[in-house]
Amino acid sequence: MNMIETNKLTKTYGDFKAVAGINLHVRKGSVYGFLGPNGAGKSTTMKMFLGLTKQSKGTFTIDGKSYPQDRQAILREIGSFIEAPAFYGNLSGEENLHIIRKILSLPKSSVDDALELVGLTEHRKRLARKYSLGMKQRLGLAGALIGKPPILILDEPTNGLDPVGIHEIRTLIRNLPKQFDCTVLVSSHLLPEVELMADDVGIINHGRLLFEGSLADLKQDAVQKGYSHEHLEDTFLAMIDEDNQQRGRRR
Amino acid sequence: MSVSLEYGKLKRTGFYPAFVGGGLLAAAIPIANTALRQDVFTSVKESPFVVLMDANWQMMAMLNVFMIVIGACIVYHIEYADNALQKMEALPAKGESMFFSKCFVLAAASVFMIALETAALAFCVRCWFSPPEDFAAQLFSSMGFATALSVPAVILMMGISSACRNMWISLGIGVIGIFATVVIPPGSLILSMFPFTLPFQTFSGAGEGEAGELLLGALVEMAVFCAAELVYLRIRRNVQ
Repeated sequence: MNMIETNKLTKTYGDFKAVAGINLHVRKGSVYGFLGPNGAGKSTTMKMFLGLTKQSKGTFTIDGKSYPQDRQAILREIGSFIEAPAFYGNLSGEENLHIIRKILSLPKSSVDDALELVGLTEHRKRLARKYSLGMKQRLGLAGALIGKPPILILDEPTNGLDPVGIHEIRTLIRNLPKQFDCTVLVSSHLLPEVELMADDVGIINHGRLLFEGSLADLKQDAVQKGYSHEHLEDTFLAMIDEDNQQRGRRR
Repeated sequence: MSVSLEYGKLKRTGFYPAFVGGGLLAAAIPIANTALRQDVFTSVKESPFVVLMDANWQMMAMLNVFMIVIGACIVYHIEYADNALQKMEALPAKGESMFFSKCFVLAAASVFMIALETAALAFCVRCWFSPPEDFAAQLFSSMGFATALSVPAVILMMGISSACRNMWISLGIGVIGIFATVVIPPGSLILSMFPFTLPFQTFSGAGEGEAGELLLGALVEMAVFCAAELVYLRIRRNVQ
């Protein structure tokens, strides 16, 4: 069963097509790595799932619910972290999470759980604007994880973290489906990063979905197309490069 | 619950101290003015409340409107400064509910200021005049009138602040609105309906007929500004 499914999902800004008719299939209980270079359309796609931007064409369903009819019900099921940490700088980390908790009608203990999960318990009373970049990133993640939502949408969640932090968050994301029975859609422009935590990957470039499937399928696809397949990063780069060349020829 | 959330979000922004300070400053105006010129004021044969309002209200109303402008800027600045609004929009909370809760908080802060001013005016009458029989009725009807006429400015300023990511733009618009009240000639009912001018009108100065028209005008403005904000929020959601 697919938790997230899109049908020719498109987003255009004037003449520019940010997302061009993509069909994504995110399996329930899986970690789906959404890969693409900067500006490929990953964040725009994720924003459409959250209703932060409206699709120009196409449809999508999340846990069988469709947008915009079931927007509120969809948002109740999703924990999200988009682009950069978003918070109230004048409030402490704990107070920021209490605001989210109240909106989601969660018990008070959920704030402690989320802080514990991302390792911010010690700094809970500090003002969010005084947090380091890594701590802000963790606060953003805590805001997504609070209440253990069935679906997590994380846009480049390890940006700004130190190697230890990256490892911790990666391990956390990897274990989330088992621990909390949730589905994770995580974007990144770093293939090795996704390789270590994803079950399935979707590769997007200039708004078009170039590949979707498991990591094993990706290797097989690379062999068939004659791409380098020893390192997945090489496969990814070759795929993007060929697409860019084809685009150049089409122009 | 949404109102308590909005109340909590304003911690450490200076919003509440600003309104307490603004309220105390506005309340100090009639006290200082009467203390310094008590002979002039007490010799006038009109009702003490009318004398006090005529002598002080323009300055007090200016402070009230200025605080509304500043308050509205602070309320939305915290949403835009660290992108918190995006997080709020990704949660199952309605933007309309957030806007009206914010309006309620700002209106309540404004009412608090007017309450301090009411207490100051009552103090002046008790201290330096002999209060007429209907003094309490005059005081509360007049301050209730002032409160009602402040609400359009509250909603308009909140609407402007909600649309401006940069706080300085909304602050600039608000300050221009305040200064516009200075150039609007007195006596014209239509021009006195300008949302930033309305709070300067007094119940005693307007007379009963005009007071009713001003209240009706304020009511229409509130409805129009609320409807405009709802349309704006819908458009913003669709064009993002």
